Amino acid sequence: MKKLKPLSRILIILSAVLMVSGYFLPLWQILMWAPQYPEGLDMQIWINDIKGDVKIISALNHYIGMRHIEVSMFPEFQYMIYIVGFLIAFGLLASLVNRRFMLVTFTTLIIACALAALVDFYLWGYDYGHNLDPTAPIIVPGMSYQPPLIGTKQLLNFTAFSGPDIGGWIFIASGILAIGTVVFEFKRFHNKI
Amino acid sequence: MKTRTTIFKMLALLIGTAAVFSSCKPKGPADVAMGDAASKVYVAPGKYDEFYNIVSGGFNGQIAVYGIPSGRLFKILPVFSVFPESGYGYSEETKPMLNTSHGFVPWDDLHHIALSTTKGEHDGRWIFANGNNTPRVARVSFKSFRTEEILEIPNSGGNHSSPFITENTEYLVAGTRFSIPMDNKDVPISSYKENFKGSISFVKIDPVNGHMNIAFQLRTPGFNYDLSRAGKGPSHGWFFFSCYNTEQAYTLLEVNASQKDKDFIMAVNWKKAEEYIAQGKGKTEKVRYAHNTYDDKTHSATSKMENEVLVLDVSEFPDIVYFIPCAKSPHGCDVDPTGEYIVGSGKLAAMMPVFSFTKIQNAIANKDYEGDFNGIPVIKYEAALHGEVKKPGLGPLHTEFDEKGNAYTSMFVSSEIVKWNVKTLEILDRVPTYYSIGHLSVPGGPTAKPHGKYVIAYNKITKDRYLPTGPELSQSAQLYDISGDKMRLLLDFPTVGEPHYAEAIPASMITPTSTKIYKIEENEHQYAAKGEAQAKVERKGNEIHVYMTAIRSHLTPDNIEGVRLGDEVFFHVTNLEQDWDVPHGFAIKGAANAEILIMPGETQTLKWKPLTTGVVPFYCTDFCSALHQEMSGYIRISPAGSNTPLKFSTGKIEGQP
Amino acid sequence: MLSLISLTMLAACAPDRPNAGGGDPAKTAVEEIADPTKGLGQIKSVTLNTPLEQERIGRGKAIYDMKCSACHKLTDQRVVGPGWKDVTKKRKPEWIMNMITNVDMMLDEDPEAQKLLELCLMRMPNQNVSLGDARDILEFMRENDGEK
Repeated sequence: MKKLKPLSRILIILSAVLMVSGYFLPLWQILMWAPQYPEGLDMQIWINDIKGDVKIISALNHYIGMRHIEVSMFPEFQYMIYIVGFLIAFGLLASLVNRRFMLVTFTTLIIACALAALVDFYLWGYDYGHNLDPTAPIIVPGMSYQPPLIGTKQLLNFTAFSGPDIGGWIFIASGILAIGTVVFEFKRFHNKI
Repeated sequence: MKTRTTIFKMLALLIGTAAVFSSCKPKGPADVAMGDAASKVYVAPGKYDEFYNIVSGGFNGQIAVYGIPSGRLFKILPVFSVFPESGYGYSEETKPMLNTSHGFVPWDDLHHIALSTTKGEHDGRWIFANGNNTPRVARVSFKSFRTEEILEIPNSGGNHSSPFITENTEYLVAGTRFSIPMDNKDVPISSYKENFKGSISFVKIDPVNGHMNIAFQLRTPGFNYDLSRAGKGPSHGWFFFSCYNTEQAYTLLEVNASQKDKDFIMAVNWKKAEEYIAQGKGKTEKVRYAHNTYDDKTHSATSKMENEVLVLDVSEFPDIVYFIPCAKSPHGCDVDPTGEYIVGSGKLAAMMPVFSFTKIQNAIANKDYEGDFNGIPVIKYEAALHGEVKKPGLGPLHTEFDEKGNAYTSMFVSSEIVKWNVKTLEILDRVPTYYSIGHLSVPGGPTAKPHGKYVIAYNKITKDRYLPTGPELSQSAQLYDISGDKMRLLLDFPTVGEPHYAEAIPASMITPTSTKIYKIEENEHQYAAKGEAQAKVERKGNEIHVYMTAIRSHLTPDNIEGVRLGDEVFFHVTNLEQDWDVPHGFAIKGAANAEILIMPGETQTLKWKPLTTGVVPFYCTDFCSALHQEMSGYIRISPAGSNTPLKFSTGKIEGQP
Repeated sequence: MLSLISLTMLAACAPDRPNAGGGDPAKTAVEEIADPTKGLGQIKSVTLNTPLEQERIGRGKAIYDMKCSACHKLTDQRVVGPGWKDVTKKRKPEWIMNMITNVDMMLDEDPEAQKLLELCLMRMPNQNVSLGDARDILEFMRENDGEK
């Protein structure tokens, strides 16, 4: 049962505290450009909400049979706040318990949550882009409108971009800090031998 | 030391990840490099533009005249809307122009322009325009740039597929946008299929003076008639209409009229219809519609109520009308300069069908039908098809043509113009428009002999193209050079109202015959004062008629007394000037209508009802000379029943002879 | 009667548009017009007949009433423009007709016309009077000045 170095304990607290920003900042963004929307359309995913030009995007998308984007579409919003809360609490606990296995578990949890979020987002995007209203005014044969998971994609006249927003970046920073701390810990161990 | 390195590594990783993601973000619309565009649109001071651009004004009910390539606005020409700037629709002479069976309608939604043609080519005589709202068509003179005639269209639910004209301007067409129950019948809206009918009016144009009269109407199946074009060359004698809502929906058309994969292009053999009418097969129906004409000798309009129309029900004459299936909700229905190809633009479709007139004729000869709609034969799609333009863009609306066999189609959704070859259907080029183009115009584009050189985009969305002016913006137009293989953006220019269709015509066809003045000798206005000797004031009961003259820089008479409260004063102002560009204006304090502008040699009347006693000034509104500010006068209003004698003068000083 | 009148109209001498530019206008005027008192324009010489031609007087008065009377009285009183009394005694008939039919060039280049502009401060408008009509007006002026 290896104890943690003092710096590692500080880094873990930092990593956990950074995640608190997730309650106050947007986590993910979807940007869309079209010739007639030179200023772009912007949609932000928060920990329990969707903000930005959601209404405009929904109004445009209904022509091709896509559903209106609403908060109720995302059951995740019900429990996201608890998952993040648990992560933060676990981080603080790990620092307190001061054991290396706690650090490893904390880091693994962060990575697992991130992967789960991406898979969840992909599944929603697939459903949103493929499950179209058959009575839509515009039906382009063979065309589906799944938004990109990460990066850019051309959807009819729109160029869509999907990626982390400021809160997401801070989460990534938390994750990197946690991973870095693990690396730091294990390197120290080998050096001692 | 180690610790710090590790932290730096972490930071570097974080920044690196962020940089990779940021570079994935696409750029906004790039600035368009234009090279020598400035010199191509520069018209030096004092020089003339090459083309007149006659542009519909949409909901302002007007036509605007621009110069191409400069994009400069020369004139706003009121057609269906009152125009306080000139007094159109306010002066006693012009009020009858806006009379309808619904009374005085001071507004309309002017969508489309048709310039008169002879043998399919521009002849520079008249501009025709439609009123989409209260169904009307108008004729504007290319000599005076004034509205000379407005004809109301009966049995119409909104005149959208109009005022397209035949090759030699024999007919102008007026197709109803909305089908309605005829004869103002009171029926449930849900009885659409049973009771609602379409109506296509063929308006005969007098080849000499341009006067319009409804020759006959076709009664057609109940759905929406969108746009149309006449055949030309080999297809002369035919007319083509795009139809949508063949689902016959009467609610939430956005969804319910977009269900079928194919709607129709309606091909009309109007020569055949003409024959039936000549044989007396038309049925006379009682209707009411106004027919208003302006006479530039009396400088006055008259409005006549007509009460009959001849109708042919196409279900009783199976060889007048044929349907051709066309991809979802066709909008534009454009005939190429040779008259052989008809382009249907399904605004919700992912490809554009081009039909062949020869194939349509063969299909009719061979009865190559896939069925019928309300007894009207539906030609097999493949039998009429020349070919499909594959993946042209999103939301194709309208197509114009150049003189080299190319077509230019506006794409509303993908906001671009797509150039393609009419014969090979191959896409040659595409350029973005800013933003969401509606109609487009190539000079001579709809004629048998396009002038080419430019294409102008009339966009529906302006956004950031000009300095912001609050929530309401002017509309944006773009001029592109099409003389080379690639289309090149040359110029952005703002437009007034909301332009729909427009046409452009070489200036050289118009300028030589442009009216400069009205000859005072030929003025036949009832109240004209042709010379100051005829200036006078007359009382007719409680009407005061002032025969007034205007010349730089005085009005005669300029002192009027003896008018009593309760009188109505008619200022009949004759402009005695006989020189180009010397209009005078007339305005009086408290006028509840407008001012009037009077062109040289013309007489116009402003009616004014004084509401209080006192002395009221009137003056010339159009800065005419160094002494314009002096061009004014007074009218004295005495109490009702007073015995102030009626008198008038100019230059007379009391107490002097 | 009409055939007795000869108006020399040299189309080739039609003036350039004033804004056409090029050359010194004053110099051109001197070169073109042998007799500066006849003014500038198409009218080079006018034949006057005695007695007056009554038909012309009638037509001339009608044009005067319609196009001229707003600014010119028949007395010597100046209103917007000078009164017409004795104008035919002060001016050559050619000058009068050029002033009527070629007013813009006259006001720009003829010294006598420019003096009148300074006096009246109002450019005489071009009233689109034809050469024949101008001749009729001239006859009416002669009558107004007491000729028989």
